Amino acid sequence: MWLGRRWLVVALGVVFFLCLARLGTNFVTHTPGSDPWASTIRFFSGAISPSLVDQNPSLPADADPFLSRLGDDLLRTIRYALIATSLAVPGGLLLGFFVSEQWWPRNGARVLFQLIRWPVRISLSLMRSVHELIWAIFFLSAFGDAPFSACLALALPFTGTLAKVFSELMDEQNRSPRGVITAAGGSGAQGFVATIFPMALPDMVSYALYRFECALRSSAVLGFIGVETIGLSINRSFENGFYGEVWTALYVLITTVILIEGLGHMIRQRMMSGKVRTRSSGLSESELRKAAPRDLFLRVNGVIWVVVIFMAFSIGEPLVTPMVEGQRSERISRFLTKLTPDPIAPEKSLLNWDARKEAWSDGSDQFVPWLADLWEYPGQEALINTLAMSVAAIIVAACLAILLIPWGIRTLANRNPLGLAMSRSSLPGVMGSLVRGFFVLTRAVPEYLYAFLLVGLMGPSAWPLVLALALHNVGILGRLWTEVVENQRRTIPSTILEVGGGRFQSYVAALLPMSLNRFILFFFYRWESCVREATVLGMLGVSSLGYYISIQQNFREYDDILFYTLLGAGLVVAGDLLSDFLRHRLRGENS
Amino acid sequence: MSILSVRDVSQNFGATLALSDVALDISAGEQVAVIGASGCGKTTLLRLLGLQNLPSSGQLAALGFDLSSPSRKGLREVRSRIGMLPQDLGLVPNLRVVQNVVLGRSGKRNVLGTVRDLLWPSRVEREKVFKILDRMGVGGKMYDRTDSLSGGQQQRVALARTLYQGAEVLLADEPLSSVDPARARDVLELMAGLSAEQGITLVVSLHQVALAREFFPRIIGLKKGKVLFDGKPTDEEISTLYDL
Repeated sequence: MWLGRRWLVVALGVVFFLCLARLGTNFVTHTPGSDPWASTIRFFSGAISPSLVDQNPSLPADADPFLSRLGDDLLRTIRYALIATSLAVPGGLLLGFFVSEQWWPRNGARVLFQLIRWPVRISLSLMRSVHELIWAIFFLSAFGDAPFSACLALALPFTGTLAKVFSELMDEQNRSPRGVITAAGGSGAQGFVATIFPMALPDMVSYALYRFECALRSSAVLGFIGVETIGLSINRSFENGFYGEVWTALYVLITTVILIEGLGHMIRQRMMSGKVRTRSSGLSESELRKAAPRDLFLRVNGVIWVVVIFMAFSIGEPLVTPMVEGQRSERISRFLTKLTPDPIAPEKSLLNWDARKEAWSDGSDQFVPWLADLWEYPGQEALINTLAMSVAAIIVAACLAILLIPWGIRTLANRNPLGLAMSRSSLPGVMGSLVRGFFVLTRAVPEYLYAFLLVGLMGPSAWPLVLALALHNVGILGRLWTEVVENQRRTIPSTILEVGGGRFQSYVAALLPMSLNRFILFFFYRWESCVREATVLGMLGVSSLGYYISIQQNFREYDDILFYTLLGAGLVVAGDLLSDFLRHRLRGENS
Repeated sequence: MSILSVRDVSQNFGATLALSDVALDISAGEQVAVIGASGCGKTTLLRLLGLQNLPSSGQLAALGFDLSSPSRKGLREVRSRIGMLPQDLGLVPNLRVVQNVVLGRSGKRNVLGTVRDLLWPSRVEREKVFKILDRMGVGGKMYDRTDSLSGGQQQRVALARTLYQGAEVLLADEPLSSVDPARARDVLELMAGLSAEQGITLVVSLHQVALAREFFPRIIGLKKGKVLFDGKPTDEEISTLYDL
């Protein structure tokens, strides 16, 4: 291996201690006089007695009941997620198609396609690297309309992610069927439409459903910046100390996410396996056609999704609020003026060319010092804190997941591990279900929500944020890594059981070393996502880039926000490139 | 009359010489086996005959089309008359059998035509596909997902795609590579039968000398990119082929 697995583990240990030194060891910080234990106990007692009615005694008598309000918030959360995903999927498909190499001709025109590909790739990277919360801050300021801005803020980064994944899925398909089409005189585009696209379709549908699940979580998180989703209910109830209400909302959100995940799993399985026919001999073409296997579940699902998406666009609060003529352009112009770096921003409107030219000539010499000032303080410090939080979080998540997965692997956690009789106890099976259940629960709650609750309980320091990121990612890494181990060949690990070894021994001595390269691959994939999340978690009052973004948001200093956003985006792109590089190296070793 | 003509063709990929000064002519309706060890250039020769690659040097002509002055339209037109059967069959696993078969006509369609063929093939087309599939013994599987068929059935579907294409030449790259010895004979019988029945020129790459000798009147023996044998081997010559 290019670095050596042992050295990689040692390097991660060293990096973790560097992060510890940077973030400090003050895990819990509370103001003098407060009783953190009391509120923690009160908070967790809400988990066993979630509230079905309003806990606020001062609500007016004619106020909507709690459950009805919660239902409305949930529907709004789902609606925004649906609209955003239904915009992002065609956008991702189109842009993914431009980035994919599968349909390119094999002649000189490839150079032209490369020229188109790079600007598209850079735009996708930029779309993905800015968090949906920050897009929402920008769009709410520019357009004002909550539903429209919220949907756009979710759709934009999701389009970038979908396009990247779709193009990778298309590029990874077997090229032989496409070769048959071109060999028979068909064009590259025909080969793409008839072979690559149908082959990639099940994976693309499955990933789109996963993104919908992510959109649901992100839509909930938008509540923390004032958009009326379930996150706003959780925010309000928590701040008022109505923990029963918080837990009810959490249970509703978790159940919805798990249901969507389950549905996605079923659709994926159906699309992958298809239906097999048994009786077909002696039938004519038309009889065969009538009796052709059709998956009713998939068809009904397809119709339901179309209807539901149509309803999301047409029913409920209008997406765009009507405004007096000129009011919207005036608002956008004001926003763009505020977004322009202060030294070169015109006094009045950005749309006035002369004013813009004058502002540029007056302030251009101040532009670089302005950038240097922001970088010196607080940009540099915030950037390092963001990086340290993301690294610490992914290492904590990885350690937890690596310890837990031996108990959760389906092929080991049963009476007959790897097909060998072991014991009559049902304990391993129960443990397996518990561990997998823990992974499902932890990944169902968004990082921002964990962070919000943990900052409330542990006080404002970097560690609640690190823990929040780690908790969400342990669920995702747990699932991905468990699947990797379950797909390994059984011959080698089962020899350990055959000579009298136990489950844990076969995991440590065989399954873990066999799976390590893929583990590292997923580790870096999730780290890239941690970097992105860490940039916004600071909005909860901890010194990372998000903290300064939220401060400047209060003063509507959008030019400063843009600076911090671009710093964060730069970090995400750097993380993306590093993780891509490492993944390619590891993939090469896997093959 | 020669329909595939190779004159002093060499093909190299970077520093690797895959074919060296190959010269041969194949007549209409001829049945030819290309044999040789792995890496001897069999697939490269088949790809050249199918006009998939341009040779590094030499002259190549197929069905009257001279590759020394290729036009895009002409190339596509002549390719639409040549059927390729790759080693892994090149079927789209999650499409129905009928959809895979209609893709054989891609060279005679544009993108929209291909989409229409896939989603709404006409009644005439469907009946034609059914006849061909029935002839191949897999008519009852016409609307099944391709990956639900056995390996042997999939091979028949791939052949049906070539028949639907109306190919005048069939180039099959190691069609026996994933077939058990008992079924290998059936596959070759089917191919040779179709070729004789419909006058299709058949060029098949193989490893098995005995089967090549049994089914093909002409054998081309390749070694390290050079043609060492071309013709019908006598009993004395057969040991040369085993040494390839």
